This record gives sequence, C-alpha cells and structure tokens, in this order.
Amino acid sequence: MGIVFTRLFSSLFGNKEARILVLGLDNAGKTTILYRLQMGEVVSTIPTIGFNVETVQYNNIKFQVWDLGGQTSIRPYWRCYFPNTQAIIYVVDSSDTDRLVIAKDEFHAILEEEELRGAVVLIFANKQDLPGAVDDAAISEALELHKIKSRQWSIFKTSAIKGEGLFEGLDWLSNTLKSGGG
Amino acid sequence: MFSLFYGLWKYMFSKKEFHVLVLGIEKSGKTTLLEKLKSLYSNLEGLPPDRIVPTVGLNVGRVELPNAKLVFWDLGGQPGLRSIWEKYYEEAHAVVFVIDASCPSRFEDSKSALEKVLRNDDLQGAPLLILANKQDLPEAVSTEELALYLDMKKLDERVSMYEAVSAYDGLGIRESVEWLVEVMERSKRTEMLSARAVATPG
Repeated sequence: MGIVFTRLFSSLFGNKEARILVLGLDNAGKTTILYRLQMGEVVSTIPTIGFNVETVQYNNIKFQVWDLGGQTSIRPYWRCYFPNTQAIIYVVDSSDTDRLVIAKDEFHAILEEEELRGAVVLIFANKQDLPGAVDDAAISEALELHKIKSRQWSIFKTSAIKGEGLFEGLDWLSNTLKSGGG
Repeated sequence: MFSLFYGLWKYMFSKKEFHVLVLGIEKSGKTTLLEKLKSLYSNLEGLPPDRIVPTVGLNVGRVELPNAKLVFWDLGGQPGLRSIWEKYYEEAHAVVFVIDASCPSRFEDSKSALEKVLRNDDLQGAPLLILANKQDLPEAVSTEELALYLDMKKLDERVSMYEAVSAYDGLGIRESVEWLVEVMERSKRTEMLSARAVATPG
C-alpha cells in the first residue's frame, strides 16, 4: 500500500532523475556550463583532469550532470561513465574551427558506443560570444549531425559566459526525456 | 531445415520498416503531429502541445502497426535548418508535408519549400502526403482550398494526397497513417530502397 502511495506521489510531483554526461574536446567550456547551470554564475575554471559532478534540478527533473575532462590523454576514460546514461550534452567551441574535424570524430566515436545507444543527444554550439564563432547550422554540418537517424538530437547556440541558450537546451532535454525519447 | 522454415516465417510475418520524413516550414505543427502519433499508437504519453518547443534538430517517433513499423523523422523547419532536410531524403520511403491551414499568409513560403523538396532527385518516386493541419481552428481552410492556393503542377506523376488533420485533437491522423502504409507497401521506391539495402548490408 505504501508503495502505491509513493508511486502516486512521485508520478504527481514527479522528480525523475536523469544521468547526463557532458562531453567535448578540451577547452570547449564544459565545466563553465556545468557551474552556470548549477549555480547560475560564471566560475573561473582550470582544465579538468578527472570529472566534476553536480545535481541540477530543473523542470521536475533532477539532472545528475557529469562533466568529464576533455584532453586527448584522458578521453579514453569517458567510457567508464557510459552505462545508465540517458543523455549526452556534447559541447563544441564554435570559434575553434580548426578542431571541428576532431570534434566530429570524437562525437561519432561516442555515438557508436553500445552502452549509449538509448541516449538522446544535445549539442551546445558554445562560445557564441566570441567574434569568430560559427552558427548552429555550420556546426550541424561540421559535426555531420544528419548521420544520426535512430535517436533524437538537437543543437543550441550557447554562450556559457553570458548564460545564453543553456536552459533552452535543458528544456528540450527534459521534454524529450519525459516523452520517452531516444 | 529449421532455417528454411525460419526464413519462411520471417518472410511471412516480419514487419517491414518504413521511414517517413515529416517536413514543413516552422510553426506548421510537425512536432505536435509527431507527439500525437506517439500517443495514438503507443502507450507513451505524448507531450502536450503547450510544452513543445521549436525543433532544432531531429525528433524520432516510432509507430508499431500490425503489419508494419513506421519511423517518423521530424526535422526542424526554420529557414537556417532546412539544409539538413536533404541529408535524410535518400533513406526516406515517403514524405509528409505539414502546412498550417489557418495561416494563408504563409502558404507561399510552404509552396516554395515544398517545390524545393520535390525537385530533389533523392526523393524520386517517394509518395507525398500533404497535411492541411490545424483544422481545430475556425479559420483553417479545407484541403480543396489549400490545393488551389498551392497550385502544385508537378504532382501528377507522384503518388500523393491531401488530408485535413488536426495534430491538436487527432482528426485525420489515423487515416493519414493508413494511407501512408498502403502506398508505401506497393511503391516502386520501397522496392528500390530494399534492393539497395540488400546490396549494401548494414
């Protein structure tokens, strides 16, 4: 009986939990995004060796957000965090056009992973505040997002420094996770 | 011997999978349609229309029918994003083009977007379903009126139909799906796509 009430309660006031990985090349802005989402402010960050994890409550979903270090030498360790992941936020530095090819390769390598088959994909075309930044259409093209055909994806122009676009992305994410996306 | 029977069994009872592209300019109601499809055909609760945000990317909807599996690809309709559409043409069995029938001021935009879609060789022979959406609104025009407005000349050689629907209350959606399955099952394009799938497995 108690269980029935618990279920009813959680479906009414539904605090779903979702495990989300924030991935991307080094210096894409993953850690800045994490803390902007969590605290609403810009913190000064140093390159992440290892990970940061925080809980962000938004739209009745508790997002457990894992920000994993992006440097080449530690990217192989990303896969340790893949099981039970509902969504990936892939962060791209939109002004670093030289490395978009590498960003694309890493991205598609992640999508190949068996353990991430069910995860939905949110792309942040970050650093839109910088002068050389290219727009979301250009990033879609560069990352070859059109090759994704069996899962939901969405791309948002963001500026972690100005706080733009991030919560629009989370809106999409919470909607998609609620409607059983993937 | 077993594998022979298994093959026969699979041949007779396996469901064909069809890919249906859902296109249309922004605000025509593509994602609302997709969510309605999900709630009509599966146990999944579709998103209520007021929670739907403009699509910037791809939404996927799966519909399981007794005789077929449909995968709907709903692509964002804002002008900057329409360049992605064509990347999905090659693998699509059919196209659903959604038009907001309550907004005549945008019919011209819809027409030119649709013409551009139909010009693409990658969609050769793909059946086309044009939806006069938002019939729940009093100002929505009928399919006949919409057809007059659009004045599509090159539709003759393509299997096509107009259907009045409301993604909001579900009007006409089951009929649309039935029509799609029927035409896709016997279209030349389906044959062509499955022949290509056999030639290049994976």
